[in-house]
Amino acid sequence: MIDSAPRHPASAVAETADAARVRLVEALIRTGEEDRAAFRDLYSLTSAKLFGICYRICGERQAAEDVLHDVYLTIWKRAGAYEPARASPITWLATIARNRAIDWQRAQTVRRSTPIEDAPPILDTAPLVSETMLEDEASHQLHACLDSLEERQRAAIRTAFFDGVTYAELAEREAVPLGTMKSWVRRGLARLKACLEG
Amino acid sequence: MSDVPPSDVHDDDLPDMTAGEFALGLLDGDAGAAATRRVLAEPAFARSVEAWRLHFAQLFAQWPEMPAPDLFARIERSLHGSGAATVATLPVRTPSKLWPGIAALSSLAAAALLVVLFTRPLAVPPRPQAPATPRVVETGPTLVASITPTAKGAPVTVVYNAGAGSLRLTEASLADAKRTAELWVIPAGGTPHSLGLLAAHGGTALTLTAENRARITAGATLAVSLEPIGGSTTGLPTGPVVATGALSRV
Repeated sequence: MIDSAPRHPASAVAETADAARVRLVEALIRTGEEDRAAFRDLYSLTSAKLFGICYRICGERQAAEDVLHDVYLTIWKRAGAYEPARASPITWLATIARNRAIDWQRAQTVRRSTPIEDAPPILDTAPLVSETMLEDEASHQLHACLDSLEERQRAAIRTAFFDGVTYAELAEREAVPLGTMKSWVRRGLARLKACLEG
Repeated sequence: MSDVPPSDVHDDDLPDMTAGEFALGLLDGDAGAAATRRVLAEPAFARSVEAWRLHFAQLFAQWPEMPAPDLFARIERSLHGSGAATVATLPVRTPSKLWPGIAALSSLAAAALLVVLFTRPLAVPPRPQAPATPRVVETGPTLVASITPTAKGAPVTVVYNAGAGSLRLTEASLADAKRTAELWVIPAGGTPHSLGLLAAHGGTALTLTAENRARITAGATLAVSLEPIGGSTTGLPTGPVVATGALSRV
């Protein structure tokens, strides 16, 4: 999405990221004005990101495609309500995608108890500026605070976010009693909260 | 993860992190419904959920992209209703026979609600109803919502006719013999206001008061709670919230 060569000086990379973000905000706002060309632009700018989200949570390609379809219909309908001051465009879009994928997943009668094998791995590191449209101080703070947690607490919270699973599924995956999983997550969240507010 | 997990961890011994758990989507069943009800009824809790969501949203940057299929033509076809069949392949959908295109707007309970919360400021106190500036609704748009049960069941389609100030709901089987289903509107950043009780059988038609008409706007949330027969006596939901959905413009 962001066309930044690794050898670019940092300032040029940041400029590219800014330009991409501006382009995305414009595409989203014009989509809210029912501009089809802008909507197409929005799709080409964001579909890889949103498909990655749908695929990981749905765990199968056909379902991920159907959910992605549905996500963009939702975006078309709701784009007029997007407020640039409230959230970055990619955060707004990604939230819709995650929620819709979780909708789909929770509606299934047969639930996956193991993570899907062939989704691209999520690297447990703070993203490089060249890789993200979200980079800012808040991001550094969250990652620093997550790093302060016990490994199992951090892993449980990250899995809940990226795989969109419930407590019961999380406990099953780690083969621990539900109460134990709750204890890891709650103590981790309490520590995270103290760190984020500290 | 190597140590033997204690088998006697009780909820009471742990910090209350419900807002964070709800923001992550960890809660389901009764716990999820209870948390949804708190989001609707407790502005401080709702703000806490939103704060967590904003924090976790930072993690989206780490989500790997995947080459997406080019669905744009298919999506574009759906914009005018011709794609209803495609959307219907999602098991979560139960397209309404009456309003086929509307099913595409539906979204599941808490998730839909959270998009609303997430995109709308919650810090704003509920706007007092100013009688001096009555909202003109006669020419307002038709709004729709698909309110989706938190448990099993088909979504209930809601259509609001601004000209008549009337709200029509398709058949809902949300209540049981001992309780009544009550419909609420939660304006963005506001608190729930009762719109009326749903019929035990068949669809429901409600004519709204002027105050409630002003609350029916795109982005507001509709919710159904189970209340004692006759409805909540407190002015706020007292029973479990069993379905929610966001209002959208047609």
